[in-house]
Amino acid sequence: MGYLHDTHMSQYIPPTLFHCVTGTWTLAAGQVAGTIAKHVAAADESSVITIPIIIPSNSVALKGAYLKSIEIDFEVLIAACDALAAVVNKVTRGADGSVATVTPQTFTYDGGHDAASERIDVDQHKMTLTITTPFWLDNGEYVLVEITADKAATTTIDMLGAVANYDLRE
Amino acid sequence: MGYIHDTHMAQYIPPTAFHCVTGTYTDAAGAVAGTIAKHRAAAASTGVINIPIILPSNSVDLKGAYLTTVEVDYECLLAAATSITATMNKVTRGADGAVAVVSAVTVTQDLTAATDAADQDQHKLTVTLTTPVWIDNDAEYLLVITAICGATVTLDFLGAVANFTLRL
Repeated sequence: MGYLHDTHMSQYIPPTLFHCVTGTWTLAAGQVAGTIAKHVAAADESSVITIPIIIPSNSVALKGAYLKSIEIDFEVLIAACDALAAVVNKVTRGADGSVATVTPQTFTYDGGHDAASERIDVDQHKMTLTITTPFWLDNGEYVLVEITADKAATTTIDMLGAVANYDLRE
Repeated sequence: MGYIHDTHMAQYIPPTAFHCVTGTYTDAAGAVAGTIAKHRAAAASTGVINIPIILPSNSVDLKGAYLTTVEVDYECLLAAATSITATMNKVTRGADGAVAVVSAVTVTQDLTAATDAADQDQHKLTVTLTTPVWIDNDAEYLLVITAICGATVTLDFLGAVANFTLRL
């Protein structure tokens, strides 16, 4: 049997897989021709965008994907948000008849987004969330990144996609 | 060249990838804070939820992903459904100018459709392929959940996990 251990794996997660609640969300062309976005219309409200991390898992310990960081590409347009913050949740699936269990994971923002003011300005954003203690993903688990964007009345946001970075071991 | 043969691989499929028809479906927070769901509003009708099995495939025989089971996490809320039944389709892609060809894949489900799979509760439904398959690059697999619903029941689909062997 062979052995694979690649520390530079990445998985693109398209905006079409993003789970968006609160707000009027549409599929739209991105600001750059040829790109795609999930776009939320202007409204003074808090929208919640949950990004499912679609990396492989494995039922054997220390195999499969070892999740290290997640990069999220988005644009804040027209006006700054009032606030924007992320949470990384590990969801342990419930057995039949039982609810799932959610465990927040500790992470740090990149240097360009560690201050609240850096996450809300009108600009293109590549926000990296680095997991403090990376982990191997079991097949009874999955990861959701939840972004809460408290928008001003005229703010719009384009969510362009995300990339999960992980080690793959087989 | 190395050789990988891992029999314990799994792939999470989020509810945002599900294809839902008949009924009113919305992205909603799950019943547990921090989870997400594709929510079906109450309606006395039969909802059909297609779950695309997004695994790698391979154009070489006996390589790529060998699909064995799919687990579906969902909740029946407010009331029991009449039945929740899983089937699977293999879609062989058409050549340019030709339609796709659909063939049924024989599967079994661990929860009885009209009782255990349909009661008001959290569910983890395991669907097992009677004959597991290597996925060719010209084939797609869709797990089809047919939910016969009464007037009161609502459904939250939380996601699915496909279990497979990876050989490279």
